[in-house]
Amino acid sequence: MLNVQIDGVWLQFPKGTRLIEACSQAQKFIPRYCYHPKLTAPGNCRMCLIELGMPKMGPDRKPVVGPDGKPEIGWIPRPQISCAQDVAEGMAVRTDSPMVQECRQGVMEFLLINHPLDCPICDQAGECRLQEFSVEYGNSSSRFLERKVKKPKNIELGPRVTLDAERCVLCSRCIRFMKEVANDDVLGFVDRGSFSTIACHPERVLDSNYSLNTVDICPVGALTSSDFRFKMRVWFLKETKTIDVNDGLGSNITVGSRENVIYRITPRENNDVNGVWLPDSHRLNFKYVGASNRFKLPQIKAQPVDWRTAIAVAAEILKAHSSESIAMIASARMTNEELFVARLLAHQLNIAPERLDVLPRTGEPDGILIPADRNSNTTGAKLLGVSASEPGSHLPGIAQGVRSGAIKVLICFEDATKCGMTAEELSKIALIVIDILPNATSALASVLLPSSAWVEKRGSLININGRLQRINRAVQPPDQARDDWEILRDLLTALGGTNSLNSIEEVFKLMAGEHAEFAGLSLSKIGDLGVPLSLTPATATLQEAAN
Amino acid sequence: MTIPSELLLKIDEAISHYPVSKRSASLPLLHLWQEHFGYISDEATVWIARKLELQPINILELVTFYPMFRRAPAGKRHIRVCRTLSCSMAGSYELRDAIAKAGGIDLKKWEAGYYGDEQGDDEHSHGLTGHHVHNPGHGSPVAISADGQYSIEFVECLASCGSAPVAMVDDLFKENVKLSDAADLLHLQRSDATLPVVKAPHPREKRIVFKNIDTEGWTNDIDCYLRDGGYEELKKAFGMKPEEIVNEVKASGLRGRGGAGFPCGVKWGFIRPGGPKPTYLICNADESEPGTFKDRYILHQDPHQLLEGMIISCFAVGAKLAYIYIRGEFPEGAQILEKALAEARAHGFLGSNILGSGFDCEIYIHRGAGAYICGEETGLIESLEGKRAYPRIKPPYFPAVLGLYQCPTIVNNVETLCDVKHIVRMGGAEYAKLGKPNNTGTRILCVSGDVQKPGYYEVEVGSVTMGELIYDICGGLKEGRTLKAVIPGGSSAKVLRAGEKFKLKDKELALEDIPMDFDTLAACGSMAGSGGVMVMDDTRDMVATLNNLNEFYAHESCGQCTPCREGSLWMKKITDRMLDGGGVARDPAVLKNVADNIAGKTICAFGEACSWPTQSFLAKFPEEFNARSTKAVPPPMPPEYTSEELSKEALIPTISSPRDTGRDVMAPAATK
Repeated sequence: MLNVQIDGVWLQFPKGTRLIEACSQAQKFIPRYCYHPKLTAPGNCRMCLIELGMPKMGPDRKPVVGPDGKPEIGWIPRPQISCAQDVAEGMAVRTDSPMVQECRQGVMEFLLINHPLDCPICDQAGECRLQEFSVEYGNSSSRFLERKVKKPKNIELGPRVTLDAERCVLCSRCIRFMKEVANDDVLGFVDRGSFSTIACHPERVLDSNYSLNTVDICPVGALTSSDFRFKMRVWFLKETKTIDVNDGLGSNITVGSRENVIYRITPRENNDVNGVWLPDSHRLNFKYVGASNRFKLPQIKAQPVDWRTAIAVAAEILKAHSSESIAMIASARMTNEELFVARLLAHQLNIAPERLDVLPRTGEPDGILIPADRNSNTTGAKLLGVSASEPGSHLPGIAQGVRSGAIKVLICFEDATKCGMTAEELSKIALIVIDILPNATSALASVLLPSSAWVEKRGSLININGRLQRINRAVQPPDQARDDWEILRDLLTALGGTNSLNSIEEVFKLMAGEHAEFAGLSLSKIGDLGVPLSLTPATATLQEAAN
Repeated sequence: MTIPSELLLKIDEAISHYPVSKRSASLPLLHLWQEHFGYISDEATVWIARKLELQPINILELVTFYPMFRRAPAGKRHIRVCRTLSCSMAGSYELRDAIAKAGGIDLKKWEAGYYGDEQGDDEHSHGLTGHHVHNPGHGSPVAISADGQYSIEFVECLASCGSAPVAMVDDLFKENVKLSDAADLLHLQRSDATLPVVKAPHPREKRIVFKNIDTEGWTNDIDCYLRDGGYEELKKAFGMKPEEIVNEVKASGLRGRGGAGFPCGVKWGFIRPGGPKPTYLICNADESEPGTFKDRYILHQDPHQLLEGMIISCFAVGAKLAYIYIRGEFPEGAQILEKALAEARAHGFLGSNILGSGFDCEIYIHRGAGAYICGEETGLIESLEGKRAYPRIKPPYFPAVLGLYQCPTIVNNVETLCDVKHIVRMGGAEYAKLGKPNNTGTRILCVSGDVQKPGYYEVEVGSVTMGELIYDICGGLKEGRTLKAVIPGGSSAKVLRAGEKFKLKDKELALEDIPMDFDTLAACGSMAGSGGVMVMDDTRDMVATLNNLNEFYAHESCGQCTPCREGSLWMKKITDRMLDGGGVARDPAVLKNVADNIAGKTICAFGEACSWPTQSFLAKFPEEFNARSTKAVPPPMPPEYTSEELSKEALIPTISSPRDTGRDVMAPAATK
């Protein structure tokens, strides 16, 4: 540990701690624009200037010790940036001296003289570092009497990102992100001096699947999301911490919603999962949640009914058939709690393991965040015994059963036409469909039970690396749509099974009692960042395969 | 797009000069391309990027950073007129107008188009058609005559301030251009840069580095150099151990001649011999500090002296690969150096096992492209790596540790490297006897501005005073004029006022009594800098003088870090307004505070360089600034949009996607 003096107080930090981070840890926040902990430090914004000192060295090359027994400090007369160097033994910092205040005031003024000051129409307002630091460190009035530099506005850098060059503080975070993280060196500076501007080459566009991360890290309103801009003031957004479900990684995200409408999804820092990044494809994949064709009421043969009737009819269908003629296609996107109750139902109906499976989804990993597994809870489905040991390997058998007439009832959480069955074959059997949006299978449903989208419910997921994470409700499900686990619980009760499950916490508790991996845990104990589970070798092989 | 085979050959040859990183060949390829095609199209940037395994934006970043590169064709003959202080004092503004008139170029039209003024001719508005850009002060447009025959451009310092005003016609250089010769300049056939000149040195001079400059019968070929005892010191150096040479240089007390005056031997001592990484040596021949014009003559007239000094220095620091970073505006200098390098190779002074010493060394030329910031050593290194010349942060990027390609690198000025040859010849102790203690050797003082005989004078450091330099050596001021001010060490040095008394530790000096050495000038609140002495007489308006320098720094700021990027242009805009009669009472105070907020807060020393003139002019000539700051309220600015435009909303353009409207549209904001 190294001894560092911050504003007169001696503290200890491990070797390799960035000075600016050390100051933050000491509750001495240093304002910054260009510095980002996940990117290289160019030191160009000059906002993090501090006064720096090193121990005075005596003629014997040993530090001079003052009367208090601590080394005496020789202060460097020029201010230094704190973002590009690590702490060193005996280093001393003043984070709020008159010199530092003057530097910040000067830099703030420089950053604002050519800025359009258009906060009333700027999407960044409310989460803008220029606004925040201006209030904290800047001046209340302008001394600038000249005409401002004009730069291009409303430039579509790519399909999802819009640039206002006049608001840009040229911190180069976006350029560095695209080069260092997204591996697509597409952004750069053109022109120079005060006229420098962010740009793409005319032959290229910012179309990386990670382009919207530049909007996240842009400290000002220069880069805005073409999807989100002008839609909602950020201070009206309710922020819900949850987990992305577009792939097996389970990136940590924040859902921004207002009055039951989702406006945007942004990444949430979790260095064990996604760092601070999120693919564009994932963050924009929420529009279907608010779609007008969401299932709102239970249906029997396409006729709306009430829940009591729908459950009763479904139970009648199931009771009327032998257990050999019932199969269930669950989903590897269901939560652990849903999968667990689905497993209870399968048990109650005595469905054999080979007539129970999930639909696997895979794709090329992108080498950055997106893994091959595009289901959010394959690990959970395997662990809870809903998935075949090789997910999807039971589907051909089920399809064969449907075709041969051996299977007469199918409980579907997925579109069965994507599981090796044709609509024609499915039209000959009884279908109990639990879903949120119309598809080829739901059109044929005998009983359709409207359920909730991932942003409308609570529960837990296990990612491909065995990390248990928690999803949370950001918005309410539409009309009479219900949580999947409640639907399953009601079916279970109607079939004579347990009726003791009254909350999702109780489901988790029961699940933890049966599966040692969850022992000692509860939804609240999972916390915002999740917990790693120790998994059996069977699921461990799955992790490797998924990676 | 077809690329002729001879151009391809040249391109491959250029790439071979950078064995460590192909990217370094970006600037050479852009030069070759522009020489052949006249300008650099967007397709060209794509082609070059592919050739160098880069992204197109990497090349576009360079084209828009380095002023010598154009994204649109210029005239068949392209004329560059120097705009900076010494040339402007010698009438370069009038000269530019006269040349434009003679060439049939309507400057006003081009400026209007360039600044996006509504009166601008859309056809010639650099592709920013309909784009309401109003950026006065953003350099100068390339203005082209209606017949496409001539084009003219105002450029920053061409490093020949002693023969101001100067101009370049394509690659040819012309000095002392008279207003009456403006029309002749369009047909210039012979360059002044290579014209043999015979001029005897002044008796007060002590010529060492400039020994052969302007002497009868001297030519820049190797035979002439060998006749004069050339490369003898190289042989002598090979008889010494590298650390012995370093010690001689340390003993000589040689201080860097580029501007900062850092002891050369100490710099070399930072290199640890035998490290795991190779060591590189770079000669900084990017002479561009306004007022400085010494390296020009070494490069053009005595290139082998530099090469010999470099090879000795390479041997001393263990560098097997060296580059000469020569400014783009010295095209003839680059050719002369190429020829000299070929001669040196042919004579076995370069290559492997030089003179049987077992030492291998190769030197290549790298041409800059008009960016002053490349004189800053880390900016130079970035530029040599094929990037925008953004200076690096120190720590951690000290060149001696993490320099070129993140390897230990020594960057020395041309004059410094020449001095090394003479230190080897004389011995460090003997060299140290020249000049004064801690200010050893000779210096080439470059005098420009309002003196009778401007020029270059090599003297022992501190052996002449300011007064002797101006009145004895340079023949005094022009008829009937009196001395008003002197900038003693290049435009960044703080100005000194005539009549001022400078209090030193033991005495008080008048301006004329200041000896021209590092320490005394520093004690007087300025610096010896690069040796560029700019003299101003009583006819000079100090606000206009500062404004000229402010324009230089606003144009040359690389734009990387906030204070300098925003502050340099702000200072220029304030002095612009003062000159236009719009100065308000608080302007001098604001101006000073802006300068204070830049100096010491930036990545590189450009922050000081651009704020010292403002700080010192304000401090030394407050009455002139106050006299121009008398308005109670700022004058109204013309509206950004006319009332007509505002009533017809459709006419007010915003830029949507630059890709919507066809192939020939510019990237956002990029100028050609």
